[in-house]
Amino acid sequence: MSLFVIAYYTLLLIASCLAAYFNQRSAFLLVFGLTLISFIVGIVGGPGALAVIAIVAGILALAAMVSYAFREFMIAIASHDMAKELRTAPLTAAFGMFIIFTYAVAGIFAPWIAPHGEAEVIASAFAPADDNMLLGADQLGRDIFSRLMYGTRNSVGLALAATLLAFIIGALAGLLAATKGGWFDQFMGRFADVIMSIPSLIFALLMLSIFGPHIHVIIIAVAVIYAPRVFRLTRAVAGNVVVMDYIEAAKLRGEGNWYLIRREILPNSTAPLVAEFGLEFCFVFLLVAGLSFLGLGIQPPTADWGSMVRENATLISFGDITPLIPAAAIALLTVSVNFVVDWMLHRSSGLKEK
Amino acid sequence: MGDILGLIARRLGLGLVILFVISIIIFFMVELLPGDIAQAVLGQGATEDNLAALREQMGLNKPAIVRYLEWLGGAVTFDFGSSIVTGERVTGLIGERFMNTLFLAAYAAVIAVPFAIILGVIVALLRNSIFDRVANVLTLTSISSPEFFLGYILILFFAVKWGMFPAISSLSQGMSLGDLLYRTFLPALTLVLVVTAHMMRMTRAAIINLLASPYIEMARLKGAPPWKVIVKHALPNAWAPIINVVALNLAYLITGVVLVEVVFVYPGIGQALVDAVSKRDFPVVQACCLIFAATFILLNLAADVGAILTNPRLRHPK
Repeated sequence: MSLFVIAYYTLLLIASCLAAYFNQRSAFLLVFGLTLISFIVGIVGGPGALAVIAIVAGILALAAMVSYAFREFMIAIASHDMAKELRTAPLTAAFGMFIIFTYAVAGIFAPWIAPHGEAEVIASAFAPADDNMLLGADQLGRDIFSRLMYGTRNSVGLALAATLLAFIIGALAGLLAATKGGWFDQFMGRFADVIMSIPSLIFALLMLSIFGPHIHVIIIAVAVIYAPRVFRLTRAVAGNVVVMDYIEAAKLRGEGNWYLIRREILPNSTAPLVAEFGLEFCFVFLLVAGLSFLGLGIQPPTADWGSMVRENATLISFGDITPLIPAAAIALLTVSVNFVVDWMLHRSSGLKEK
Repeated sequence: MGDILGLIARRLGLGLVILFVISIIIFFMVELLPGDIAQAVLGQGATEDNLAALREQMGLNKPAIVRYLEWLGGAVTFDFGSSIVTGERVTGLIGERFMNTLFLAAYAAVIAVPFAIILGVIVALLRNSIFDRVANVLTLTSISSPEFFLGYILILFFAVKWGMFPAISSLSQGMSLGDLLYRTFLPALTLVLVVTAHMMRMTRAAIINLLASPYIEMARLKGAPPWKVIVKHALPNAWAPIINVVALNLAYLITGVVLVEVVFVYPGIGQALVDAVSKRDFPVVQACCLIFAATFILLNLAADVGAILTNPRLRHPK
């Protein structure tokens, strides 16, 4: 038994006793469960496996502390009403907001953060990491860290632009269909059905094969694919608002469709729409990442996470994890957005699953 | 029984209509190409004579509607013309690959479906416990990761570090089933991870929805033991949502397969589609898109029919 193993179990047992003493039932179950699992894992995998558990637990604890601090920070700087809302945010949501904030900073200040240019060749191919290059060089000898920073701007920016366009088209059509009704509503509904019955990745591939992989083609193709989903939701949400008495009153006053949409329906359906925007962004981001992984996204030499994974994938067969970093960056952002959306949905629906 | 068959027939008809509209979209989108296919194949430097010869050979001189009808007629009998890059018949090119893809999807589904449903039900019964929260975070992470991320992580550990499974799924004729299952294990596992997460979340939501209904509360209040509440009261009503969840996720599986096939160099139809897209081989692209769309519609249709069969209320709409 090494010192590490003894310290490991002592720490876990002290933590579980403390949790039990202070009547923290779920914390106790978590820690003590971890202790029991560690016994089995420790016997099977030895101290190495225990070290992995300790590292993972440490990372999780660090993430929890960062999220807690970030939430307190936001509560401190937000206005009174906002602070009240923020207090209801679970730690996962705070973590999501922290990550989104980090990505935004990385994307906006990429040229200042990145030590080298986006397409600047500074070393030999696949050169290992050194003082100059934090993560080593890619297949052409460009600094991976710098490309990662620029990639934030390109990948996230592209996905954001596509989501915005899809949202504008879908939400406008949905609101119009809800207010106008009749044949317009029917036609748009059927049209959305047809588009949605083609798998999204396949449809995107079809359009890219025809019009070629240019940025504006990608944005429009993705917007066409996702607008029907936004349309469906907006139509459903607005459909519930349209039957309200105050809409009837506004109609009797002689207000036009545009006024109804802007002043009556939209303010009463913002919460689900904002949450939907987050969800759609995740889908779009994953689709665009998949496309660029297939070599059909943003074209080189522009840095982009999906294509960075593909270009450096050969390194994986040598046990190097650098190609996984851009992929992990994609996953981390999507998870974070999902965490925030989860909290917003929970709050806006007022549902407390009991 | 008669009206169930009628209802199913009507759904099937609707599916056919949608497929027909999609075939129109797939065919006429290629017509939107700047210039035409001959121009796209030969490039900017082509002479007028070459272009004319190729147009003649591909039948591009006929009006679009005639070519569409010919293409559709061929597609119904699984004849999608020939590739404009290699000149091979498209059917020969993708026929076997489609079987491989179906095999991979079925392999993943056989593992994922029972696993996901059982876990989903357990999580729903233990909702708001620490187990449920951990499962929530894990499934959310799995859903949010791009398929290629999961695939490469599995390759890194199972193939490179531990050397347990091959990283590349090379298939050959006459392999035994065991060998086949062994070689395609990693791509199947990637799909299982993604689909299980989706299915678990949806099953959990469906079961929680169900457990909130008044008749479950009634059963509990009259003192029925918990297992009886689940088996006798909840389960018969849970089939419809569960069948729905399974069919929707199988549809997802069919498209999710594209990225996974590229990661593992699996000889399936998804890889054929990606190759054809980068070579701009339109007949192959069109054929693959139509096959994917048809499978997708068929599975969604299965979800509808399953829901109708298990829920008598849908059979008699008010």
